[in-house]
Amino acid sequence: MSQAWLLGQRALREGWRTPDALFPTVFIPLFFLVVNVGQVAKIFPSSSTEFLHGQGYGAFQMPNSLLLAASFGTAALFLVEDIEGGYFDKLRAAPVSRTAIVLGRLIAELVKGVLIATALVALGLIFGISVASGPLGFVLLIGLTALWSVVFVGFMQLIALKTRSAAATNSAGLVFFPLLFLTPNFVPRDLLTRPMEIASTLNPVTYVMEALRSLLLEDLEWGTILPGFAVVAVLGALMLFLNVRMIRNYD
Amino acid sequence: MRTTNSTAVHASGLVKRYEGRNVGVEAVRGVDLTVEAGEVFGFLGPNGAGKSTTVKMLTTLLSITSGSAQVAGVDVAGDPDEVRRRIGVALQEAGLDPRQTGRELLVLQARLFGLSPEDASSRTEELLALVELEDAADRRIKGYSGGMKRRLDLASALVHEPEVLFLDEPTTGLDPASRLTVWEEVRRINARGTTVFLTTQYLEEADRLCDRLAIIDDGRIVREGTPEELKADLRERQGLASEPSLDDVFLDATGRTRGRVEGDVQEVMA
Repeated sequence: MSQAWLLGQRALREGWRTPDALFPTVFIPLFFLVVNVGQVAKIFPSSSTEFLHGQGYGAFQMPNSLLLAASFGTAALFLVEDIEGGYFDKLRAAPVSRTAIVLGRLIAELVKGVLIATALVALGLIFGISVASGPLGFVLLIGLTALWSVVFVGFMQLIALKTRSAAATNSAGLVFFPLLFLTPNFVPRDLLTRPMEIASTLNPVTYVMEALRSLLLEDLEWGTILPGFAVVAVLGALMLFLNVRMIRNYD
Repeated sequence: MRTTNSTAVHASGLVKRYEGRNVGVEAVRGVDLTVEAGEVFGFLGPNGAGKSTTVKMLTTLLSITSGSAQVAGVDVAGDPDEVRRRIGVALQEAGLDPRQTGRELLVLQARLFGLSPEDASSRTEELLALVELEDAADRRIKGYSGGMKRRLDLASALVHEPEVLFLDEPTTGLDPASRLTVWEEVRRINARGTTVFLTTQYLEEADRLCDRLAIIDDGRIVREGTPEELKADLRERQGLASEPSLDDVFLDATGRTRGRVEGDVQEVMA
C-alpha cells in the first residue's frame, strides 16, 4: 500500500501541475447543467412536478453533471505519456508491485474526484440546489461520484495499456456519452418510452445516476442508493483486476 | 537457478519472437552471453539488430520466448522481482517524468526501492552531487537539457546501488560535451564496483569504455571479445599491415564494407 500511496502522491502532483487538464472537467459539466436546465426547466416546474420533490430541475440534472465530471479519465492520458516517455518502463523495471502501479493512479483519481464533485455540489448549493439526504447524504454523494471516476479511469487505463496511444484512449472516452444518454437523464425511468426504459435498465450507469439523484432529492433511500454503490464496487473490482493483469502481461 | 557470483549476466539461447497476424518475427535468435562482475560490457549492433530487445529481456521488461537468462545470479523468468532489486536500468528514452523536479523523481525512485524517507533524501543528495545536478534539483525536469535528463536518468538507475547497470544507448542524441560527461559517469559508477552492460551504436564509445564487447547482427551474436582481441583477429584474418579500428571490426562482423556504407550514405544524400 505504501508504494501505491507514493505513486498516488506523484499522480496528484502531476494533476495539480497541469491545471489546463482540470479546467474542462469542471467547465463542461457546468455548461451542460446550465444548457439542459435552460432547455427543459419550464416543462417541469418544481411546484407541479412530483419527481422533483420540491426542488428545481437543476437538482434533477446535477447527477448528469457529476457523472460527466467524473468521466474525463485524464489520468489515462497521463499514463500514455508515461508509456511514450519511458517512465512506465522505469517503474516496470523496478520492484514495484503491479497492483501499486494501478492503485497509485486510481487513488489520485479518487482524491481528484472528491475535490471536483465537492466543487460542483458547492456551486449547486450557491444556486439553490440542496442535498435532501443531509450531511451523510452529502458524503455519500461525493463518495459515489469519486468512486465512479475511479471506475471510469480504470476503463480508460485499459485502453491506454492496450493501445499505448493518446488518440485511441481519447476516442475511447467518447464511449461514455451513449451510456450517459441511455439513462433516465431527463426524466425518471418510469416516464421513458419502453425501448429506452429497457436500455436504461440494462445500463449500469443508470443505477449510479439514480443513486446520486436520490441523495439530492430524497431522504436516505437505501433501496436506490445501494445499487449505485454495488455497481461501482463490482465494476471497480473488475477494472482493478483487468488493469493489473494487463500490466503483468505487458510486453 | 543461480550462477557464480563472478558472473553478472549469463544468457543462453535467448530468443524473442513476436507473433504477427500472419507471420512471426524473431528479433533475437539464440543469444549466448556471459558478462563477468565488474566489467563494462559493450553490446553493439546496427539499428534493428536486437540490442534493445535483448536488454529488455534481461531487465524483465519483455518476456523471453525461449532460452534462459540469469542476472546478478538470479533467473530472470523465474524471479523477476529479485532481478529488479539488483539491477539499474536507463533505457534509450530517458524514463523521466517531466512534471516532477529532479529531486522529487530521485526521492520517489529511492522510496519505491524501499529506502526510508531519511535514507531516500540523503541518497538523493549523494546522487545529485554525483551527476552534478544539485543546482537544477528543484527545477521541473521538462526544462532540463538532453544531457541533464540523461544524467538524471543515470542517477535514478543508481538509487539502490545496483549490482548490474543496464544502459541502452545512453549517449544517443547528445552533443559531444554531454557524451564525455556521461562517459565519465559510467567510469565512476564502474569504479565503485557496478557491472555495466552498455548498448551503443558509437564504436568510439565502445572502444573507450568497454572491457569486452559483443556485436549482434540480425538477432545473433557475430563477434565477442575485448576490443584488442577483435582487432587482432581481424588483422590476422585479413593480413592487414596496420591495426584495424573497431569500425573495421564492426563492418566486417556485420557483413558491410566502407564502400557499401558510403554508397548508402550518398544515396540517402541524393
